[in-house]
Amino acid sequence: MITKFLFFYLPYLSLGIFCLGILYRFWRWAKSPVPLRVVVPPAPRSRLGIVRRLVGDALLFPNLFRGDKLLWAGGFLLHAFLWLVILRHLRYFLYPVPGWVAAIQTPGLYAGYLIPLPLAFLLARRLVIDRVLYISILGDYFALVLLLAITVSGVLLKVFSRTYIVDVKALVLGLVHFQPLLADAHWLFSLHFLLVMALLIYFPFGKLMHSGGFILSPTRNQRANFAQRFVNPWDFPVSYNPLNLSSPEKYAQTLMASRQGEVE
Amino acid sequence: MRMPVAAPEIRIGASQDQRCHPAKGKDMLKIDLPKERPSDWREAMLKKMAEVLDKNRSVRLFLDICVKCGACTDKCQFFLGTGDPKNMPVARADLLRKVYKRHFTRGGKILGRANEAEELDERVLQDWYTYFYQCSECRRCSVFCPYGIDTAEITMAAREIMAAAGIATKYVTEVVAKVYDAGNNLGIWPAAWKDNCAFLEEDLKDTEGLDIKFPVDACGAEVLLVPPSADNFVNTNTMIGYAKMFHAAGISWTTSTYCNEGGNFGLFLNYANLKKVNNRILEAARQLKVKKIYWGE
Repeated sequence: MITKFLFFYLPYLSLGIFCLGILYRFWRWAKSPVPLRVVVPPAPRSRLGIVRRLVGDALLFPNLFRGDKLLWAGGFLLHAFLWLVILRHLRYFLYPVPGWVAAIQTPGLYAGYLIPLPLAFLLARRLVIDRVLYISILGDYFALVLLLAITVSGVLLKVFSRTYIVDVKALVLGLVHFQPLLADAHWLFSLHFLLVMALLIYFPFGKLMHSGGFILSPTRNQRANFAQRFVNPWDFPVSYNPLNLSSPEKYAQTLMASRQGEVE
Repeated sequence: MRMPVAAPEIRIGASQDQRCHPAKGKDMLKIDLPKERPSDWREAMLKKMAEVLDKNRSVRLFLDICVKCGACTDKCQFFLGTGDPKNMPVARADLLRKVYKRHFTRGGKILGRANEAEELDERVLQDWYTYFYQCSECRRCSVFCPYGIDTAEITMAAREIMAAAGIATKYVTEVVAKVYDAGNNLGIWPAAWKDNCAFLEEDLKDTEGLDIKFPVDACGAEVLLVPPSADNFVNTNTMIGYAKMFHAAGISWTTSTYCNEGGNFGLFLNYANLKKVNNRILEAARQLKVKKIYWGE
């Protein structure tokens, strides 16, 4: 019963929380309007330029490179390895395995072996640099430790347990086709699998939402088209306060008076 | 060769006593803000905070997506100068973030201080007043943040929230109030502005023998010049420079006694005053029927 819950119902539950959670977060952000143009120059003028800027941000982290080379190296390697590892795992979900997934099998494997290194570096950095230690909170450590646990259990699984691949594929394909096909799995596999479920559930609620949220960042996704008027959707008219000594009416009177003076 | 500035070691509380003088009631009333902090300041601030979060995507997004990587921590001149960790851009935003988490997110309500969520109380407010007025809104941090998180947006939000509860600084409120009375930050009255311009005309004739006008409130000129008011008062060489340039280019121009200030201190206070100060430029331009606005500062 518990096995069926953990390996059959839980995946759907966590995937549901993952997807709905992300949609909710995006909806919440998108609900608030952007009142002003706050783009950080040098910014592109065209929409294509903005797409290019955001894709560049997502893949290469240019701002981070400018600010902190070591942190950039750690962050870049982590994200690059993460992509390779995730894409390599597609071989467990797809049948037949597409050629490109088969092609990245070897780099994906090495990325998997190496990914704990940038994670450990980022964790050590939090503890060693006084400034970063000061700002770090529970959520920061939790995300890193969770990813470390997932990746280390994955590596151990690969190195020591050699899970019977046919069983794993049967389980995952069973999920894909809504048919429970449960086999006795090694405890390391169960750990790895359940930790990933935990990650899916945690993902929408914590800092990991930076992965999609940056697309909405007004300083990065606005264009530098200053010649076009930017309309604030909640703008309001200016009110005048009787305590103020100058007002449009008084200025109009002043101008009128000086014009009459000129005529005389 | 560019020499990087080494980040100082953090010194907790190093600049916690460097607070701006608080605003005076008479200035607050002139700029449409509560005269003083009311007894229900906390509710007033939380109400304003909800409004700010709903009106500004940047604020909610920036509070949510910061991963605390620390790339900004050694980029703020206020941190480099003081070593006070609350002057690191991310830590400055944390002052707002902990209240946001406590009062506006479910996770913060459940986890509480374990995940940095904190009640808005007197101590937190003192930190807000101290450190959100130790930010110059220069946006340098946003250049190094991988998501472009702009602490100026956070600082402006916090000041907007505080202003709604009658909390602001004397310098900023006094200057904005002066603009609504005299038309500029320095409080140069219209008569004094005209007199200064006449003086500069004479001076230019005496020293260089040039016959160049400094028009004031001239309806129908082509250009309205909105200089920093100090140009008419202290940096007069700049003012003379404008006049010579317009003269040489053959462009008719004027300054306005309704709006002779290019700097907008509303930026350091709240949206309503930011807009109101800027609106004076448009109003002056409309009444003087100029075709263009040249806006310095």
